[in-house]
Amino acid sequence: MNPQFLIDGLLTGSMIGLGAIGVTLTYSILRFSNFAHGDLMAWGTYATLLIVGAITALFGKVAPFSPLSFGWPLMLALALAMVVTGGLALLLDRILFSRLRAKGQMIIVVMASFGASMALRNMLEFLFTSRPAYFSRAIQIAMPVGFGLRITPDQIALLILTAVLVTLVHLIMTRSRIGREMRAVSQNPALARVAGIDVARVVRFTWLIGGALACVAGVMIGVLVQIRPLMGFDMLLPIFAAAILGGIGSVPGAVLGGLIIGLSEAAAVQIVGAEWRAAVAFLILMAVLFIRPIGLFGVKER
Amino acid sequence: MTRTVLSVTDLVAGYEPGVPIVRGASLTVREGEIVVVLGPNGAGKSSFIKAIAGLVPIFSGTVMLDDEEITKVPAHQLVRRGLAFVPQTENIFPLMSVEDNLKVAGGMLDRRDMTGRIEEMYGLFPDLRDKRRIAAGNLSGGQRQMVAVARALMVRPKLLVLDEPSAGLSPKFVSMVFHMLADIRKAGVTILLVEQNAKAALAIGDRACVLVEGRNAHEGRADALWDDPVVAELYLGRRHAAGPSASDKPMPEAQP
Repeated sequence: MNPQFLIDGLLTGSMIGLGAIGVTLTYSILRFSNFAHGDLMAWGTYATLLIVGAITALFGKVAPFSPLSFGWPLMLALALAMVVTGGLALLLDRILFSRLRAKGQMIIVVMASFGASMALRNMLEFLFTSRPAYFSRAIQIAMPVGFGLRITPDQIALLILTAVLVTLVHLIMTRSRIGREMRAVSQNPALARVAGIDVARVVRFTWLIGGALACVAGVMIGVLVQIRPLMGFDMLLPIFAAAILGGIGSVPGAVLGGLIIGLSEAAAVQIVGAEWRAAVAFLILMAVLFIRPIGLFGVKER
Repeated sequence: MTRTVLSVTDLVAGYEPGVPIVRGASLTVREGEIVVVLGPNGAGKSSFIKAIAGLVPIFSGTVMLDDEEITKVPAHQLVRRGLAFVPQTENIFPLMSVEDNLKVAGGMLDRRDMTGRIEEMYGLFPDLRDKRRIAAGNLSGGQRQMVAVARALMVRPKLLVLDEPSAGLSPKFVSMVFHMLADIRKAGVTILLVEQNAKAALAIGDRACVLVEGRNAHEGRADALWDDPVVAELYLGRRHAAGPSASDKPMPEAQP
């Protein structure tokens, strides 16, 4: 078996993991599965693409940081688009989810997220067509890094970015005031209010952080693969499988779940063939639900 | 005369509009007092103090905390105003460490003050100091109750409100909890609590009021209430030794 699947799996796993953090946080704090999360990824990517275009229009063509395929415009655009995607998530909550949440039936909110997903996806197809777009058409040469493994500079940069972001989110959750408040709301929303926590503020922060990470995951796919309106929706199953495998509410669990699913998918391509790739996440999801529904780092619901 | 910390007037409250559970209850709590709310099951005791704590909708009446009206203030802002509430059940964050339980409640304190206040809490509840890294859900019932009370005290409330602090505890812990409340009062905190365990509550309480069907039935000094045969038999579930003529005795400080 070609060991290259390790690199492929790590990269896919990072994309899945970043998406799964958002899903797991939304689920543990707002108590619903947000099926529009994948489409936030796609929106974030197109937002980044537009901002890069605007920068290029203003400053002309900017040379990439050799040996990477992208330069500072993409980095700046990503930072801005993370804010935009967080804002989009907030807007979606304000005009749709929060109103339905107030009625108390969570299944309605889940269905609404299906609707939001469809609307967001079709708007992208309407605006940008379904033809794939690219951040760069330059071809990168993968460098050998020993043990028969090859990796491109872009891939290294994005793996580092993922590691930094995941560490940052983990530190926020465990060390900061807002992180403690998020954990408090997820464990006992009623007591959180009594303890003086502004639950609405916690909810806003959850959307911001979930949207921002969705944007990064989307841009990763955009840089390494291609940009399509369906790019996020297609990731939905692996993302949910990762969040559930890791244990709902656990940030390290979501990342580990993402890596396990990414690596399994990459291995499956070599063992049973590429046409079975999509089945892997589904099989893992079923297995977790049968064997250990609370996931790796999950805890029993009260 | 001592300052009035809490004054509740003609409170009508309930979960559904048009279905009041509290039907015109009144209460005052003065600085430094322990006031106990008693009453038979279903009398609306719990709803009464939950309404005061902002957790049950209030239909009419007023709640004043230190001359400030707090009737319509949402629960999460009451902490800031100086009213801290300890629910009867699920009153800790089970997966968070003891220290994080305290920190999350002290969110509005600055960092220096927070550290100092946590130390004060460990001084008041020495058991918790050794357990501060342990998830609060893994503690014994009595220690959990300590975490719940310490959490509420973090922000130096003017008034500590507790919903049946002895519920579900073994007898050993029940007496521990009441000793703890007496100590907290000595430390200068005013306390309002609802209790099923009338005897223990009246032993530490200064005054008590008995709610029946959502209204004040009796009110008075804690010791007088305990000695009152009618109140004792009807509402506190205690058989009084005195004969039937005892019920003819006028009730001291009783209100209609």
